[in-house]
Amino acid sequence: MSDEEHHFESKADAGASKTYPQQAGTIRKNGYIVIKNRPCKVVEVSTSKTGKHGHAKCHFVGIDIFTGKKLEDIVPSSHNCDVPHVNRTDYQLIDISEDGFVSLLTDSGDTKDDLRLPTDDNLLKQIKDGFAGGKDLVVSVMSAMGEEQICALKDIGPK
Amino acid sequence: MDDKLVNSVRSTVFKDSDSLEGTCTRIEGYDFNQGVNYSRLLKSMLSTGFQASNFGEAVEIVNEMLDWRLSDEPIAEDSSEEEKDPTYRESVRSKVFLGFTSNLISSGVRDTGRYLTEHHMVDVIVTTTGGIEEDLIKCLAPTYKGDFSLPGAQLRSRGLNRIGNLLVPNDNYCKFEDWIIPIFDQMLKEQHEENVLWTPSKLIARLGREINNGNSYLYWAYKNNIPVFCPGLTDGSLGDMLYFHSFRNPGLIIDVVQDIRAMNGEAVHASPRKTGMIILGGGLPKHHICNANMMRNGADYAVYINTAQEYDGSDSGARPDEAVSWGKIRGSAKTVKVHCDATIAFPLLVAETFASRSKNFVA
Repeated sequence: MSDEEHHFESKADAGASKTYPQQAGTIRKNGYIVIKNRPCKVVEVSTSKTGKHGHAKCHFVGIDIFTGKKLEDIVPSSHNCDVPHVNRTDYQLIDISEDGFVSLLTDSGDTKDDLRLPTDDNLLKQIKDGFAGGKDLVVSVMSAMGEEQICALKDIGPK
Repeated sequence: MDDKLVNSVRSTVFKDSDSLEGTCTRIEGYDFNQGVNYSRLLKSMLSTGFQASNFGEAVEIVNEMLDWRLSDEPIAEDSSEEEKDPTYRESVRSKVFLGFTSNLISSGVRDTGRYLTEHHMVDVIVTTTGGIEEDLIKCLAPTYKGDFSLPGAQLRSRGLNRIGNLLVPNDNYCKFEDWIIPIFDQMLKEQHEENVLWTPSKLIARLGREINNGNSYLYWAYKNNIPVFCPGLTDGSLGDMLYFHSFRNPGLIIDVVQDIRAMNGEAVHASPRKTGMIILGGGLPKHHICNANMMRNGADYAVYINTAQEYDGSDSGARPDEAVSWGKIRGSAKTVKVHCDATIAFPLLVAETFASRSKNFVA
């Protein structure tokens, strides 16, 4: 079995598991949670105490960190929920290809070419304009549960 | 004094009265010198007056309803060959609709109801959501006697829910949740895989099957194929469970349209049977049963037992005569409203009617 692990490839650096369990009652606003298999940022939590409806429950409203969609879930507060490992890594922007992919410089000096341009209009414009204008750009890439997306942009060029 | 004046005054004050002897019952209460004979005590209510007399009339009406056979009626001209057969006519009895509110199932009246469904003494049941769940929950954990005056905030902090002078611990509802959610999961599976379209009455029958406990009236209703209608299924703990289940495992569909077809069908297709309604409490069960009977131009027997008043125009408080104006009860029907809490009146009514005729209900 251990031989097979050597061949195991994972995109994320944070070990083999993409989520970890956490008791629903301990998840707070601005934390992360998995709803319907999507990694979400928690924007609202409310708890209803044990009563006619049964065990105490937590009502979560989350925003999918990649698509921006609002998702809801209700979980008994003593149950475990999945919390995604969310990582942010910065890369320098080297190039934008015609078919919408970006070329990024990693810490180790390799290029990372498998990432698409973000879908958010604002961010997309900023990247395209900044790159066309010859600026030195660093992009922040958020990764969770096997998905990655550019979520922010910094201009590190000379003033 | 003037003689003429005296005679005139005398004829005014001492107006001859109609004689009631022979036409009206004499008022006479029970004589305890006979000893404590409960059966005679209950029978004496008819002549005791006020609501005791109404209770006595209710007993008479229910017994008339239970004793009626099609063979009591003249053969109708448009009868089919089967309907003309005397043996068949002897076997055709009234169709009994029983309705009650949830609080009565929280109370000990649930056990009276269980007796009726156990021996197939009623044909159709209509209730509100609590009338379903409280019966099931009692099989998982008991309800306790408390007091009307227990302070709400204290009870909340102790995890106790008050229903009148009864107490239901939160824990009971947790047990209910743990019991029912896997059943919903299974039902959803059947919906997808076997194309089952669930309705409130089908769901209730399934729960009666799953609880598998002889103390539950729903268990016996399932065994004896007595449909239990609950169009307001979402308004109770059961509804809460459906709500939560829709997050964890979405997609369960419950169709009320099929059930209104079935409920009204029970009334419409009852003929040549007569129909009777025994309704405990007001609200949805009362109206739903009356409305279904409207579809067959009115029920033949109606007994209401409730404490509601008509002065606010509510349907709950409406007397049977109001239902006659809608065609929900026939003008020729035998009706009575007993103004009494059903926890007192109903077990006593069953004692004098269904339970006294238990031999008639052997399957």
